[in-house]
Amino acid sequence: MLRNLGALAAAAFVVAGGAAYGGSWDERVFPPGAHVDFDAVAAAGPSALPALIDRGRVLFKAKFTTVDGAGRPKATQAIVPTRRKAGVNPPFTRTSGPDSNSCFGCHNDPVEGGSGDDVANAFVSEGFESAQFDTVDPSFSSERHTIALMGAGLVELLAREMTADLQAIRAAAVKEACQSGKAVRADLVSKGVRFGWIEAHPDGIVDLDSVDGVDADLIVRPFSRKGVFTSLRQFTINALNVHHGMEAVERFGARWTGTHDFAESGVPDAITAGDVSALVAFQATLPPPAVKTGLPGDWRAAAAEGEKQFDAIGCPSCHVKTLPLKSLVFTDPAPYDMAGTLRSGEVEAPIVIDLSVLPFAKTLQKNDQGAWLIPLMSDLKRHLVVDEQVNALGNELQAQRFVERDVFLTPRLWGVGSTAPYGHIGAFRMLDEIIAAHGGDARFSRDQYLALDPDKRDAVVAFLRALAIEAPR
Amino acid sequence: MKTVVKTICPPPPAERRRRHFETPTARAPQDEVARRTTLSLGVLAPLLAIASPAHAADRLAPAGDAPVMHEEAQAAGLNSVYDGPWEFFVGGGGAALDCDGSGFPSVFLAGGKNPAKLYVNVSKAGGPIRFVEKPIGVDPKLLVNVIGAYPIDVDGDGRMDLFVLRVGQNLMLKGGPDCTFALAGKDWNFDGDPGWTTSFAAEWEQGAKFPTLAIGHYVDRDAPGSPWGTCQDNSLFRPQPGERPDYSVRTPLAPGFCALSMLFTDWNKSGVPSLRVSNDRQYYRGGEEQLWRVEPGKTPRPYTRADGWRHLSIFGMGVAEGDVDGSGYPQYFLTSMGDEKLQKLDPDEAGRGELPVYRDIAGEVGATAHIPYTGGDKRPSTAWHAEFADFTNDGLLDIFVSKGNLSQMPDFAAYDPSNLLIGQWSGKFAEAGDLAGIAGNRVGRGALIADFNLDGKLDILQIDRGSNVALFRNLGARNGDGLPLPSGNWSEIRLIEPNPNRNAVGAKISVKTGTRTQTRTLQVGGGDASGHAGWVHVGLGTAERAEIRVQWPDGERSPTYRVFANQFVVVDRTKPQASYWYPGR
Repeated sequence: MLRNLGALAAAAFVVAGGAAYGGSWDERVFPPGAHVDFDAVAAAGPSALPALIDRGRVLFKAKFTTVDGAGRPKATQAIVPTRRKAGVNPPFTRTSGPDSNSCFGCHNDPVEGGSGDDVANAFVSEGFESAQFDTVDPSFSSERHTIALMGAGLVELLAREMTADLQAIRAAAVKEACQSGKAVRADLVSKGVRFGWIEAHPDGIVDLDSVDGVDADLIVRPFSRKGVFTSLRQFTINALNVHHGMEAVERFGARWTGTHDFAESGVPDAITAGDVSALVAFQATLPPPAVKTGLPGDWRAAAAEGEKQFDAIGCPSCHVKTLPLKSLVFTDPAPYDMAGTLRSGEVEAPIVIDLSVLPFAKTLQKNDQGAWLIPLMSDLKRHLVVDEQVNALGNELQAQRFVERDVFLTPRLWGVGSTAPYGHIGAFRMLDEIIAAHGGDARFSRDQYLALDPDKRDAVVAFLRALAIEAPR
Repeated sequence: MKTVVKTICPPPPAERRRRHFETPTARAPQDEVARRTTLSLGVLAPLLAIASPAHAADRLAPAGDAPVMHEEAQAAGLNSVYDGPWEFFVGGGGAALDCDGSGFPSVFLAGGKNPAKLYVNVSKAGGPIRFVEKPIGVDPKLLVNVIGAYPIDVDGDGRMDLFVLRVGQNLMLKGGPDCTFALAGKDWNFDGDPGWTTSFAAEWEQGAKFPTLAIGHYVDRDAPGSPWGTCQDNSLFRPQPGERPDYSVRTPLAPGFCALSMLFTDWNKSGVPSLRVSNDRQYYRGGEEQLWRVEPGKTPRPYTRADGWRHLSIFGMGVAEGDVDGSGYPQYFLTSMGDEKLQKLDPDEAGRGELPVYRDIAGEVGATAHIPYTGGDKRPSTAWHAEFADFTNDGLLDIFVSKGNLSQMPDFAAYDPSNLLIGQWSGKFAEAGDLAGIAGNRVGRGALIADFNLDGKLDILQIDRGSNVALFRNLGARNGDGLPLPSGNWSEIRLIEPNPNRNAVGAKISVKTGTRTQTRTLQVGGGDASGHAGWVHVGLGTAERAEIRVQWPDGERSPTYRVFANQFVVVDRTKPQASYWYPGR
């Protein structure tokens, strides 16, 4: 953050060699002086945010070039800096990456930041033993359909508050057990969502066997199909490396690798903390999806009926229709990120984005306690979605970051009407098909759905199709 | 089986409010709260002034983090001086152990001619380190002439005991509740193995209910011609059959060459540790460094030239083990006077551990530590305690080496700062003692490296000769002139297995992050008359998750435990899953 940006730009220029750059046709995303200075933005306060968000939008759509540092010739896609054992990565590899020139390359449907068609699916692997693979066989990786990022700032804020709740419950249980000398069982409940329970013992040991749907450290990780990313910042750093081979200083820089160019791209310190913040700010301020307006009368009527059926058959037990959010103040860095993703202790001051001043905030309702009601239609909890009879979603062979292969985060259904195809690999073209594919924890509701009259099933589809992502007006 | 211990709970709210530095809230990361509540630039200013030396041209600067180690022994309530005549030129150790079930390491500190002291840790997690002295309930006469100590649960009752090294009879102190100790030598048929004891190590041999004890002696002061060529034999005490410890039978380890450090080590991954002994050439005649074959039921015998052991003669003062290169075969740092060694198995001659042939790589990797790296005194250093540990949480082992002139020896450096050799990704080490703030004008001896405030970062308690101990609290990563930065991710691990070896001494812990695997071995011994028990610390760098496997002392391997970073992890051999542990204050 305290780096000399001028020196960096000069270094990039020199390292690239060959061609001269700097004309109005310059291909570079990062010409001299184009990196964002985190501290300067944080110090400037709200006045700097519009420019930061705009810069984030530019970076989101940017096609990173070789002289920007794109590609990771000697590094794998792993989230922990990992060198290739041998050889050099080609510029693009559709399977193990880099597989995209820009964020927008996948997140473009129906607007920037949105979902993507099946052709934009990614193939994710840990990047350790199977660092390079040239097949889409699930033995090697897990295929992923693009998740829309609309409303992502609100999602992260919900997760932060839920994490705080769960960790406070744990702390209280530990304290009570210590003081009472007896084991204390504590239910893990936040925002009405139950995450199982823990048992704290007087000696400080906490049994975690009955924790459900959240990681054992009680951090609610709201991003990715599996719910394994804590923050937009962590997701962004991972994605920049996996998909573009752009390596952020805070993960791949000298502090953690001993070098300024871990991937040997020829460009040192390719992505600054400020650059990441610009991307975070852009994503965090994307408006949430909304219910379509101006629908024809028959659709409106069907959607109203469909919502009743949706509720009646128990879909909201996981696809919780709204979660209450106490504060719309988004701070970057986030509070629960770990080393390798910028932490609050690593900056003089955070960047503060008050989402309540954005136009979309006017569309959000509040409950009687003054909390904002976020209509994401998810409990931000992981569930088993496969059973012996209904296992179409159980097509993976690898666990992902400790999450078993047939367990997934409840997808947010806001915007589902705009994000076909459906499912974690986008294997289902129609909403009726993906509903029918729900097994495991969702089996009861799925069976109820299939037992409905065709008209009522179609009404449920009408309701879901009305939940759409629309271009900002 | 769970350790049955009394837990120290948080103080009542009124008392808590009076204290300045609160435990972090559940929402705030510990590093951040500690940083903001306990530091100011004013506090750091003198430290940073020290940390701006003119670097030698050939000195490698750390490419990554260097820790900020803030000395705060007085503020922490420590007031213990190791001192005394010739017998106490050596030694100067202590023990760190959880003696009250709080999870926080308390300390027992040798005083030489001064009484040994026990300080109970009353710190709060993430806050400043605080100790309160507690009287040791044994005859005060026995608490003088103490050289050092090692913690070990001899009788497997779940409470740490102490083996106390003395000039005279050694002590075995049985741990009781609330950091109480009682003499146990009589109950355990231990006669104290009198002499000038300067080193100790212990292991559980296969099938043994109680530990085997190795006791290292220095000069036999009563022998004709003493001190030259009069090194006393060392001793091995194997537990005799029975339901309680019985150390009535001594097996001599002869010849002894003035053993200043010893360590049971599975050098060849055979599962049967050998006894590595580091000897002081100042007083032996025809001696050398030693490696003893200690096989269950057999008389110990030293490895010889015929076994591949190569003669090495140094002022051996401390031995430390660490798997720096991830090979699974330990490397050894040997302290000396001006010729420290970092040994690894010679790949050409040792095979896969068939022969104990070692090569010194200290020069190759920048870990010679043979002269002071700052202060201008170019006479040879005098090194004592050595220990591998990760002070930056970057996932690489560092080496701490305490330094201090023997006693105004003119041929050796007077200003002789301790070393903090930071492991680099290149495989080399970069000196950062001055950057970190530990390069004061002290006369170091033993050291205790532990996370005293359970904030995930390793602190250093250095026992100095002739002055109060130094307590270096690790505040995080050095950040130019700014406040320290949070360090990397970490895991602290505790093993529990059913009796007899309840704390799994001899177990190997493998921690895998990505393609890297780090190994830690639970040992009792080594260093300079100093040892610690409790949480086993592993730095994880940027890894958010890790996989832990344990090779238990009997050789059986555990399943893989999946754990998240920045947690205290308890691996109980009788349970299918690891648990997390949280401090009660």
